[in-house]
Amino acid sequence: MHESHHVVAPSYLDMTAQEITNDVLKRHHSPGNQFWTIAMILGGLFVVGLVGLFMLIADGFDNKSAWGYYAATFGYVFSLSQTAVLVSVALRMAKSHWRRPLARISEMFAIVGVYSFAMLLPLLWVLPSIEGRRSLWFEWPGNTPHIWDTMALGSLVICGLAILYFASLPDLVTDKEVSGKSDEDVSYHPLIPHWFGAPKHWQLQKIVLGLLGGFYFLMLIIVHMLISVDFAMALIPGWKDAIFPAFHAINGIQASIALIIVTMFILRSRSSLGKYLELEQFWALSKILLATCLLWFYFWWSSFFTYWYGRMPAEIGVLKYIMFETYSTVFLLAFTMCFVIPFLILVVNVVRKTIWGPTLAASVILIGTFFNQVRYYVAGFSVEDHTLHVLENLPDFTAPGPIDFMVVVGGISGAVLTYMLGTRIFPIISIWEIKEGLMLQRVRKFMKRDIRVLAKPE
Amino acid sequence: MQERVRISDSQVNTDLTSSIFESSKLYWILVGFLALVVLCGFTAAGYMFNRGLGVTGLNRPVMWGFFITNFVFWIGISHAGVMLSAILRLVQAEWRRPATRAAEVLTVFSLMTAMTMPLIHAGRPWRVAYWVFPYDWARGIYPNVRSALVWDPSAVFTYLTSSILFVYIALIPDFAVLRDRTTGVPHIIYSILSLGWRGSVRQWKLQIIAGILLSAIILPIFVSVHSIVSWDFGTAMSVEAWHSTVFAPYFVIGAVHSGVSAVVTVMIILRWMFHWEDYIRREHMDSLAKLLIVVATAWLFFFALEFFFGLYALEGPEVALRELQVFEAPWKWYFLTFLITSYLIPVPMWLIPSVRRNLWLMAFTTILVNVGMWFERFIIIVPGLMRKQAFVFTWGGYTPSIVEVTIITATFAMVSMLVLLFAKVVPLIPIGDAKEGMILHDEIKIGKVMVPAVMREE
Amino acid sequence: MARKSILGLFDNADSAADATDVLLEAGATQDDFDVLTGSPYPEGAFGEKDPVHHIYVFPIIGALMGLTMALVLTAGTQVAYPMVTGGKPILAFPAMTIICYEGTLLGAVLFTIIGIIFESRLPRLRLDPYDARINEGYIGLLVTTEEEKLDDMERALIRGSALEVVHERGRALRG
Repeated sequence: MHESHHVVAPSYLDMTAQEITNDVLKRHHSPGNQFWTIAMILGGLFVVGLVGLFMLIADGFDNKSAWGYYAATFGYVFSLSQTAVLVSVALRMAKSHWRRPLARISEMFAIVGVYSFAMLLPLLWVLPSIEGRRSLWFEWPGNTPHIWDTMALGSLVICGLAILYFASLPDLVTDKEVSGKSDEDVSYHPLIPHWFGAPKHWQLQKIVLGLLGGFYFLMLIIVHMLISVDFAMALIPGWKDAIFPAFHAINGIQASIALIIVTMFILRSRSSLGKYLELEQFWALSKILLATCLLWFYFWWSSFFTYWYGRMPAEIGVLKYIMFETYSTVFLLAFTMCFVIPFLILVVNVVRKTIWGPTLAASVILIGTFFNQVRYYVAGFSVEDHTLHVLENLPDFTAPGPIDFMVVVGGISGAVLTYMLGTRIFPIISIWEIKEGLMLQRVRKFMKRDIRVLAKPE
Repeated sequence: MQERVRISDSQVNTDLTSSIFESSKLYWILVGFLALVVLCGFTAAGYMFNRGLGVTGLNRPVMWGFFITNFVFWIGISHAGVMLSAILRLVQAEWRRPATRAAEVLTVFSLMTAMTMPLIHAGRPWRVAYWVFPYDWARGIYPNVRSALVWDPSAVFTYLTSSILFVYIALIPDFAVLRDRTTGVPHIIYSILSLGWRGSVRQWKLQIIAGILLSAIILPIFVSVHSIVSWDFGTAMSVEAWHSTVFAPYFVIGAVHSGVSAVVTVMIILRWMFHWEDYIRREHMDSLAKLLIVVATAWLFFFALEFFFGLYALEGPEVALRELQVFEAPWKWYFLTFLITSYLIPVPMWLIPSVRRNLWLMAFTTILVNVGMWFERFIIIVPGLMRKQAFVFTWGGYTPSIVEVTIITATFAMVSMLVLLFAKVVPLIPIGDAKEGMILHDEIKIGKVMVPAVMREE
Repeated sequence: MARKSILGLFDNADSAADATDVLLEAGATQDDFDVLTGSPYPEGAFGEKDPVHHIYVFPIIGALMGLTMALVLTAGTQVAYPMVTGGKPILAFPAMTIICYEGTLLGAVLFTIIGIIFESRLPRLRLDPYDARINEGYIGLLVTTEEEKLDDMERALIRGSALEVVHERGRALRG
């Protein structure tokens, strides 16, 4: 990192555009043996997960409680991967310069969206019909949630992929030109139209990314609502909680920022991308992470407090089931790991302004978020009779069995593997955005010190 | 595109203190008129205290009417100050500079006005003292801390105290400017208020830290205030449509929507009245309007959650209430007005860049938002009480009396008058902040264009 | 030995920054001078020393005191007159949390304000040496040193192209 009297500026400002291109592409083309070793291990674990899934399918779809941990894993993978794309969308709209090195890391999670979509499919057979029970769909015909949820998640995944594609197009062209591949080369041709970086092209790319970004944001909020209500809230009798979809989304945003921080940390230490992923990125994200931890608490509190104060039988039933009795341990773990621990880590200025501090908090949040998903999805899938309006007799806690462990570990490994394979197609660092950053930032002398100057073009 | 011009420090002082040293006839006519309206309000309140609450339109079952609606409305406006000042300070948004003081001042005066509303509503304001403060040591009877009506004063008092002190701390350097520019009694008063400020390195450093530190502490207060106001409603389980877990964030984001809109209106009026064209520029309106698009859409999302999950359980009384709000006159007209004025007209207009830079249209749209937001509170409060619960013995409507209308009108006059009078004693654009903005402004040459840039210390 | 102050006035920030070098050459240390400006400059722009402060301790102490006060108030009053309302326990922690939260933050704000005023070394009863033009765009270089070194410093300021040197009693040497 470039540091001279007070000024903190990205190290890449010392490089030329050519050097940046060569550096990123070199790493892109030679990921190293370690990469493939890890990919193999993850692949192995994914197969274990697949075996678990087949065992679940072999037992049939009628025993819903057997599918609880699978649903939680799906909720987890969906929340993290699809929401992570939003981070780059939002930061690009806010025109923050520090986002440049992490933009691709974030939007690359769109690829994992395809995987989460595949994970949804078996659950469609498990999800009970809405007849006779409360649901988002009121009196609509029986299979409504199945159809609309699939379509909504599908559209979101496609939109995410489109964002990834349009955002990486300039880099794919650069890669093609630098590696001297011809237009006929099959591995490149299908992805790249006749882009040559004319002002018109950049303009178009900006508009397309802006429109897709806006659409993605709206879609994401809706999909969070559909998935969280159809696969969790509507399955627990008496649970009428208007803030829940927003809480689910906030937890998703929090966890996806945590995911990006952890990914950055791994990339930094494993592939020496340290000159792009610097303290600035960790520090900036850690502030947002702290804010999301507080929002997590605030949304949870709003819901808990209204229920606690109201004390209606249906509300007390829900509180006992997913917070204070049946799933109390899981709730306590989620509460501690999504709020208490990361808050205590991040609230200290000197810790927040390090690389290890935010990474530690982020790792804790990633685990906590999984527990949070368990207490919704496993709890929801463990209820026998969904037609009740009050949870009078609390269902038993569904402890994870061997198959559940296989499914959880395999499911998450498969997601990570998908991401890793994605990095073989798209360079993990957004070359054009770094080059743009090179153009729009300077370090210059101001009286007796150096100062960083950031252009803010309209 | 930015319309910035370089101005000398001396000229900045002259321009921004013009509201203090020069006054037009129009100013005094306006203040005089507003004072008259305020006087009418005081008279009406005095009459009401003398005759009792019978002179209002309040009657069973609707015991909360215009006063409480207006209380929630002004609490909402007061959220402008911290939203703009604190959040924009924390994210180092350059365009915050001309808006912060006006926003903070609006916070203080609207909070003060809001506080008078429940006092007037109580009918016997002096009795509020022992509901709120635990001073009755002789009889040993204390306020009920389990009651939402006790949380309110604690939150509003904390917010008001913090906001006043926040404004004062930021005013110290400006008081020093006024001290140096005045003689006689004003000089003595400004000397005392400026505490002997000289503008040393230490003083400026602490001033900047104060801005950030106080912002960080006041932000959680700001969120809590409207949340707690929302729990006046949300914790009541007996009123349909009030007992919703989403009320807290829904109220907070609604408050931000109306508050930021009010700041825009005030800034436009100040610009026109004191000729601050070089300070409150079209680019600031543009940024504020973009912020408003995001805020308004988030608010709409929470509104949708509130409304949708009200219907979710399809409980008879709740459905009946929604029918009353949406389909029965006059409520359907209020509902329609509220939706159209607070979202459907302004947001599509703000999407057009030329509207964002047109002061007339910005003033028009932001006033519309607040018309809508007033109605929003009204249709939450009154219809909820009209159809209270199954065994209530009266179902009745509510028509405000002339006394209530006079008092409500007077609150609008009071806030406007106080802001105008305050502009007579302190600059409503922070002078030091405006000068700092000019020091940190820079340009970067890219090809043939000069792109506006800003210096960043970190 | 008594320490006294003089104030060199400059009409632009760059010459004030250059004059600090002349002061250092003339035997002043960084602790001897301060820069007075009408608006904040980026840290270190004048080559000045970064002031040491303990402002962050204040909100923590305030928050703890506020929390304690609020806890005593909410718990104490309820225990003193135990009356069940709304089916809630006498010590209803979720409800108490709200007032405790406000109390904590009120304490934090009050102490932060005290801290800021204290750490800014305010209130200050005497301005001297000071010049009202500082708020109009001039930069003041305030030198505080032993009385016998004062003349050297004054000459250094003039060498450093100060437009004027203001003494504690307001006497101007040149201008």
